[in-house]
Amino acid sequence: MIPFGFAYCRAQTLAEAVAEYARCMALGKTALYYAGGSEIITMARAGDIRPDEVIDVKDIVECRGMERDELGLSIGAACTLNQIKEAKLFPLLGLACGRIADHTNQCRITLGGNLSGSIIYHEAALPLLLCDAEASLFGPEGERRVPFADVFQGRLRPLPGEMLVRVRAPVWALAAKHAHIKKTTNEKIDYPLVNVTALFYGEALRAAFSGVCAQPFRSERMEAILNERALCPAERARLAVAALPERAHADVEGSGEYRAFVLEHTLKKLLEDWELGSL
Amino acid sequence: MNMALNASIHRKEAWDKVCGRAKYADDLPAADHLCARLLTSTRAHARILGIDTAGASALPGVKAVLTGEDCDLLFGPLLQDRYALARGVARYAGEPVAMVVAVDEPAAEAAARRIAIEYEDLPPLLTPSQAMLPNAAPIHEKLADYKRVVSDVRPEPGTNVAARHRVRKGDAKAAFARCAAVIEKRFFLPPSDHLAMEVRAARAEIAADGNVLVTTCSQAPYTVKKQLAEAFKIEAGMITVRVPFVGGGFGGKAPVTLEILAYLASKSVGGRPVRLTIPREQDMASFPCRMGLEATVRLGADENGMLQAAEMEFLVDCGAYTDISPNMAKAIAADCTGPYRVENLSCDALCVYTNHTYATSFRSFSHDSYTFCVERALDALANRLGFDPLELRLKNAVRPGDFTPTGVPATPELTGDVSRCIEEVKRLSCWDGGRPLSLGGSKVRAKGVSCFWKSANPPTNAVSGAFVTFNSDGSVNLLTGVVEMGSGGHTQLAQILAEKLKLDPAQVHVVAHVDTRVAPEHWKTVASLTGYMAGNAVLRAADDLIAQLKRTGAEALGCAEAEIEVADGRVYSIKEPERFMLLKAVAQGYQTPGGASVGEPALGRGGYMLKGLSMLDPATGKGRTSPQWTPGAQVVEVEADLEACTYRVITACCVLDVGKVVNPAATRAMIAGGMSMGVSLATREAYEYDENGSPRAPNLRTYKLLHIGQEPEYRVDFVETPDPTAPCGARPYTEHGIIGIPAALANALSAAFGCALDGLPLRPEAIRRAIGGAP
Repeated sequence: MIPFGFAYCRAQTLAEAVAEYARCMALGKTALYYAGGSEIITMARAGDIRPDEVIDVKDIVECRGMERDELGLSIGAACTLNQIKEAKLFPLLGLACGRIADHTNQCRITLGGNLSGSIIYHEAALPLLLCDAEASLFGPEGERRVPFADVFQGRLRPLPGEMLVRVRAPVWALAAKHAHIKKTTNEKIDYPLVNVTALFYGEALRAAFSGVCAQPFRSERMEAILNERALCPAERARLAVAALPERAHADVEGSGEYRAFVLEHTLKKLLEDWELGSL
Repeated sequence: MNMALNASIHRKEAWDKVCGRAKYADDLPAADHLCARLLTSTRAHARILGIDTAGASALPGVKAVLTGEDCDLLFGPLLQDRYALARGVARYAGEPVAMVVAVDEPAAEAAARRIAIEYEDLPPLLTPSQAMLPNAAPIHEKLADYKRVVSDVRPEPGTNVAARHRVRKGDAKAAFARCAAVIEKRFFLPPSDHLAMEVRAARAEIAADGNVLVTTCSQAPYTVKKQLAEAFKIEAGMITVRVPFVGGGFGGKAPVTLEILAYLASKSVGGRPVRLTIPREQDMASFPCRMGLEATVRLGADENGMLQAAEMEFLVDCGAYTDISPNMAKAIAADCTGPYRVENLSCDALCVYTNHTYATSFRSFSHDSYTFCVERALDALANRLGFDPLELRLKNAVRPGDFTPTGVPATPELTGDVSRCIEEVKRLSCWDGGRPLSLGGSKVRAKGVSCFWKSANPPTNAVSGAFVTFNSDGSVNLLTGVVEMGSGGHTQLAQILAEKLKLDPAQVHVVAHVDTRVAPEHWKTVASLTGYMAGNAVLRAADDLIAQLKRTGAEALGCAEAEIEVADGRVYSIKEPERFMLLKAVAQGYQTPGGASVGEPALGRGGYMLKGLSMLDPATGKGRTSPQWTPGAQVVEVEADLEACTYRVITACCVLDVGKVVNPAATRAMIAGGMSMGVSLATREAYEYDENGSPRAPNLRTYKLLHIGQEPEYRVDFVETPDPTAPCGARPYTEHGIIGIPAALANALSAAFGCALDGLPLRPEAIRRAIGGAP
């Protein structure tokens, strides 16, 4: 139960949503853009957030649907994880969406919500980071198109009052060789202990990670090590783990030392499969 | 022979449940109810210096704010050591400290969050061994003053020992000296949760004439009535407790908890109806959970692998309050060896206070926990002696002529056939001698075995009862005090009654919900004793009914009662079966074609009280706690990746001596359900506490259960050694599937990884630590 009242606004256009957000801010109220709501409900229940208003963006046409053209795939921020998974248009992103929460929640959680929420894993971001996706945001100043990596540092970081509208993946990424490996404490449906997501640009391996550190990331330094094909997989895996950008994350699901072990093992397997041509 | 037994009929409540129409305690209309919410302690151990309720009381819609100062009564089924709301001291993080009653849930919740509490932290004690240290401060300073509800709970004031049970048999010390192999192991098993799908809820109201009505999700409605009556000095006849379907209990809904608070809440607002609900997080952290256990087990055997001696110490982590935990320590003592012959035995089972969430009964009543320790120790012994672990168990299995730890002579009727269970599970699991099989690369397959037995620990005078009435179509209604919480008790009772009355089980209608004003008392729906206790009451009610039908039939047919038979919906003379009357024509008394009335309406009633049980001798443990034992054997097979330290559970097998199978499909499902719970418990579940004693993340985002789709293949089979004192010879079976699974899994993984895995849960990280892979 959410033990407080709040206003609910169902915006029909981007301008309406942004104007409503601005109106709340001007009144000193807190507003949240709302799509799937799974995290808003959980956090409001637990007393961690107390919004005065939620602005539902699901009706806004720009936030909906997926469009494939000769240049790539554009995905609305209000698409659910399950829609993306079932559309099978971006296989790697589909794999990522299919391993976040359970099916019931995949039918509720949206792409925008997974990227923007406060839960630290944001696993849907990894394929977008790897494919140099573009993000389209809408705010008080109108529309803004930027590289996804520019607005996603640890989590989506829009400007005040701004909302994610769409993301766009380039066409090469939709058919590229890839791997998605998610390791959990023991239960399959769980947060990642380690999520290694890999996408090949030609013969170059790109890799992004979640669960390993306190925030998801893609690291040029680690990618360089992983692509040192003169070294054996075990050595590359060891060196890559040594090059983590920050200390491995530790919480109730696993210690940092253990996460590093799982990462090393996972990378070694991935590299071996690559060498064997079995990816 | 009727077809009611050995028939896989659907559960009586199946249609209601699969259509989503079954009603649970908090589903009933509540339009006129006020709402109550709790504020719980954020500290594991702290003095409560002050509670400021002014901010909460000032909120609109708030009707009452209660704290520990509003009720000085102590509660507890065995030892009265717990206030309804913490008074003076909070002893675990999550302990209810204040309660708000308001017009609706949001108002109550908002007010609860406005209450300010000033704490002074006290050092928390977070493990039994820590609490047992000589310098450990007692968590309960007034332990000596607490009222003992039963005579066999003996707290030790000045310490954290709430109860102690001893078993002494033979001369363990001397026997160890003769052993060819002696092993000793220590175990640490964390507490975990029941996690029934239905979160606990209760409602209460006090009528103008003082009548109290409580609606709750309890497994023990008659205990709710009794405890409320005694504590609040209400005549028991003034109290009605109603229990609709319960959405899973697993022992967690046997204690009286929310009912007391709901009553206090209603009382604080002049008796108005109050609905007390709690979120899942409070259900986990604030209300009783599964016990933790620390243990040391020492086993000795001769060169042939025959057990010669055992020395055991079990420290039950009961958390901050005893609830039923002293009896769980007793249950450990009574069955501590497992189903093996051990003639020289010394066992101490203690119930120890800590600053954890308090514990209560959990499926199998501690048997899963101590079995883990004993069965791991047996594998270590088999390793040491170079024996096949299954064969070692077979050698030592209890046989006629042996005795249970508390000196009860083992007979097939009483203790079942352990050896057959082992032999059957050997076949069912394609047992491989306990040797891992390499699959190439870093993958291996391995199997582990565990045996178990389970007895019950009811009060020696526990009762049950049954009423049977007729409908105009000749079908019958069965009324008992048994709560249906998914364990299939109502269906089993219907089959027992149908068999006795020679009716189709579809002709037996079971009253689904319990109302203590209407149904005869049934002690509690716990301990897998429904089929035994209520089943015996049902048989007596059926006998009573048949006797009445025979009287009426004899009079109507003009023959002797001894000639009358009741079967297949008819009453007839065995000498002239063609002369019969339909049951429905006799059930309410018979009317002759001429209009004369004959006989009386038939109303069946049966009462049953346990007999022949005793307290355990405090010095030696001698005595008998249970009507019978149910033994079983289980094997778990895993596929392990030695390099990654990960594994999958492939198959889980269970052979249980159920005495007699009443409903094969339902029994299989119930046992497989227990096995699934065991796999979940052993692979994933634990309450983890930080160094201050606060549970880390007590919510379902991080506390993971086994999800559907990740289950192993379950293979269940039965041995049938009838218990002549039980209806149809059927032994208790409902809890049992869980008992040996954690041990069998740990044995399989220990074999696979070649190391000793002696803790739970068996997460890959723990395995890696055990094989020495971590710094």
